Amino acid sequence: MGRFRRVCRWLHRELGFLAVGLTLVYAVSGVVVNHVHHWNPNYAVGERSFRIEAPGAGETEDVAPLVLERLALDEPVRSTWRASPEMLQVFVEGATLDVDLLSGEVVRRGHVRRPFLYSLNFMHLNTGKAPWTGIADGFAAVLAVLAITGIFLVQGRRGLAGRGGVLLLIGVLIPLAYVLWERCF
Amino acid sequence: MPARIITLCLVASVLAAGAAIAAETVYGDGVSAPDTVLVSRVLDHPEAWAGKTVRVAGTAVAVCAERGCWVDIASDREGQTLRLKVKDGEIVFPLEVAGLPIVAEGVFKVNPPETSGKVCPREAARLAKTCDAEKAAACMTSYEIAGTGAVVTPAGE
Repeated sequence: MGRFRRVCRWLHRELGFLAVGLTLVYAVSGVVVNHVHHWNPNYAVGERSFRIEAPGAGETEDVAPLVLERLALDEPVRSTWRASPEMLQVFVEGATLDVDLLSGEVVRRGHVRRPFLYSLNFMHLNTGKAPWTGIADGFAAVLAVLAITGIFLVQGRRGLAGRGGVLLLIGVLIPLAYVLWERCF
Repeated sequence: MPARIITLCLVASVLAAGAAIAAETVYGDGVSAPDTVLVSRVLDHPEAWAGKTVRVAGTAVAVCAERGCWVDIASDREGQTLRLKVKDGEIVFPLEVAGLPIVAEGVFKVNPPETSGKVCPREAARLAKTCDAEKAAACMTSYEIAGTGAVVTPAGE
């Protein structure tokens, strides 16, 4: 048992150091993507309104150049789209402008990547697929080893036979209780 | 001398990578169907296309801001769009594709009318509009492509 515990301690220590970076990536990203219904974890999204002289709801080939002229945008226009008889959308890099052709009201919806969080979420959600799939699988295996070896690190009252065992039980019961609750209600 | 060769190789690699980035971006399985069908043609006779693999092209005019799991593709007919819906997480479209040309492929689906009453308030909240209970069915996308892949051409191409 002494040799087994020594191996567990060694594995836990070495892999623990190795896992710090990735654990933080998944922890931080985990919190932010958990709240995707509260905010956009990947983009800072902004909106502002202004007015231009109303171009009127004429034919798109007549109206679109007029709108672009009146918008006098600094950035190059990607494309335009007549979303409805009253609405022309103008697309530029990082923003969409909804132009009400009858009132001249313009709503500019811009988005900028959150540089740090976007990258964390990209890794956490494995958006890029391979080669991150392999790295993430390896990390999952490391976490499993950390969890198992952690059980055997401490002996006695603070170990599996005492407080550690109670905490372990609570940690196992939390997901089990949630699954039961979710299925029953 | 070897150092110069290595430097040249590195520069060539960076240039090649830059060219690859500037070229079109492939999402999922990309597109492989031989012919592109007009969105208007599909939507004129949706029942005829239901369950069939279609390849459509247009401009990406709206993108799911939260999860990147759908893109609305502009039809060749003004005001008409067709939604490309992909499985959450399998393909993720960044917001940056809005306004860019997109070619997409997948199975065309005709969805049953929305009767749960849940979709309309959610969509209304997302679009900051008021939910009209009588028009609840219209809040659900009636037609969509269950997307397997897409190719997006960057601006200026």
